[in-house]
Amino acid sequence: MRAIRSLFLAATLLALPAAAQEHAAPAEGAAAENVDIITPHITDGFHMELPYWAPPFYKEICLGRHVGEHGCEALWPDVHVGPLTLNFSPTKHVVFLFIGATLLSLIMIMTARAHARHTHAIGRPKGFAAGIEAMVLYIRNEVILPNVGHHGNGFVPYLLTCFFFILTANLLGLIPYGSTTTGNISVTATLAIITFVVIEVAGMRALGSGYLSTIFYWNKDLALPIRILMFIVMSPVELVGKITKPIALAIRLFANMTAGHIVLLAFIGLIFTFKSFVSAAPFFMAVAISMLELFVAFLQAFIFTLLSAVFIGQIRESHH
Amino acid sequence: MRTAILASLGLSVMPSLALAAEAGGKPNLLSPNGGLMFWTLLIFLVLMFVLSKFAFKPLVAAVEAREAALEEAIRKAQQDRDAASALLAEQQKQLDGARAEAQKFIAEGRATSEKLKASMLEETKIQQQEMLDRARRELENEKVRAIDELRREAVDLALAGAGKVIGRNLDSAADRKLIDDFIASIPKAGK
Repeated sequence: MRAIRSLFLAATLLALPAAAQEHAAPAEGAAAENVDIITPHITDGFHMELPYWAPPFYKEICLGRHVGEHGCEALWPDVHVGPLTLNFSPTKHVVFLFIGATLLSLIMIMTARAHARHTHAIGRPKGFAAGIEAMVLYIRNEVILPNVGHHGNGFVPYLLTCFFFILTANLLGLIPYGSTTTGNISVTATLAIITFVVIEVAGMRALGSGYLSTIFYWNKDLALPIRILMFIVMSPVELVGKITKPIALAIRLFANMTAGHIVLLAFIGLIFTFKSFVSAAPFFMAVAISMLELFVAFLQAFIFTLLSAVFIGQIRESHH
Repeated sequence: MRTAILASLGLSVMPSLALAAEAGGKPNLLSPNGGLMFWTLLIFLVLMFVLSKFAFKPLVAAVEAREAALEEAIRKAQQDRDAASALLAEQQKQLDGARAEAQKFIAEGRATSEKLKASMLEETKIQQQEMLDRARRELENEKVRAIDELRREAVDLALAGAGKVIGRNLDSAADRKLIDDFIASIPKAGK
C-alpha cells in the first residue's frame, strides 16, 4: 500500500513538468517573441486541456463556440442585468468548480456511509473515514465552536463546507491538467461575500437593534458634542473595518494560490529554458514548491475558515 | 443553517459588487467575472446543502452517538464498580462477622472445656476426698468397735479369771461396774 502511494506521488511529481510542457511548447515554437504561458494557465478561459496519450499529451477542447481556426468564444450571449453585463457561459473555472464540488460530494457522502458502516460494525471509523472524521471534528470543535461562541452549531455546516470546498479547489489546482479555481478573484470574492453576509446576518440576529452600533459609533459615555464628533469620525472607520474583512479574505486566498502557481510555473518554465543539466535545479525547486503548495492548500482553507469563524464570533460578542 | 439561507438571500441583492469586466484586451487578474461569481455561488450553496445533509450531519450524529455511548459505558462501568465495591465491602463485613463469630465460638468452647475440666477435676478431688474420709471413718469405727469388743472380752476374761480365783461366780452388776470403771481408768490405746 505504501509502495503504491509513493509510486503515485512520484508519478504526480514526474507528471508536473510534463503538464508544464504543454504550455512550454508554444513558447519554443515562437522563441523570437515572448509568449506568456503563465497567465493563460492561472486565469479563466473557454479552453480546457484534457490528458491525451500522444504528444503533446494534451488535447484542447473548447467549452464555448468555435470561432475561426483556434478561437473559442462564450457559449451563450451576454445578459444585461441593470447596469451590469453578465455572461453565464461555462468556463474552465466553472467546470473545475463543478468537478470539485462533485468530487467532494461523492467523497464526503461515501465517507459518511463508510463511517456509518464502520461505526455499526466495530463501533468506530477506520481508515480514510477516520481521517475525515478527525478533520471535521477538529474544524468543528477547535476552530468553529470556540470562536463562534454560544449556540455556534448553526454555523458549522457553512464553515465546514467552506473549508472542504476551498481545500478541494486548492488541491485540484495541484493536479496536472487541473486548474486552481481559488486562484480566481471572482471565486474568492464570492466566498468572501457569502462570509460577509453570514457575518452581518449573524450580527443582526445576535444583537438585534444593537447591530446598528457596529456601524454607527454612538458612545453614550461621551459628552454630546464630542459624541457627535466621534460619530462623524468613527462611523466611516467602522464601516471600512466591516468591509475590509471580506476583502482581506478574498485577496488573501486569491493571492496565495495565484502567487504559488506563478512561482511553480516560473520554475517549470526555467526547466525548459535551460535545456541542460542545470535544469535539475529548477526541477527540484519546482518539487519543493509543489510540496509547499500542498501545505498552503490546507493552510489557506484553514485560515479562511478560522478567520470567518473569528469574525462571526466577534460580531456576535460585540456589545458597544 | 438558517443563517446560511438568509445569507444567500442577502447575496442575491448584491450583484452590484460583481463588477462585470469581461472580454477585451489582456486578462486582468483582479477583474471579477459576474457569471463565474454566479456559478460559484450556486455551486457553493448546492454543495453546502448536499454536504450538510448527507455528509456532515450523519458524521457528526454518529460521532455524538458514539460519544454518548462512551459516556454511558463509562457511567455504567462506574456504577458497576461502585456496586462491586459495595458488594465486596459487604462480603468483607460478613466474612469478618463470620470470623469473629467463629473466634467467639472457639473461645467459648475453650472456656467451656476449661471450666468443665476444672469442675471435673474438682469433683473428682472431692469424691476422692469423700471416699478417703469415708474409708478413714469406717476404719475408725472398726477400730472403736474392735476396741469395745476387746474390752468386753477383757472384762469377761477378767471376771472369769477373778471368779476362778475367789471360787465363786462374780456376775453381779456391781462387779461388772467395778471392772468397767477400772478399764475406763486405763488410758485408751492408740490415743
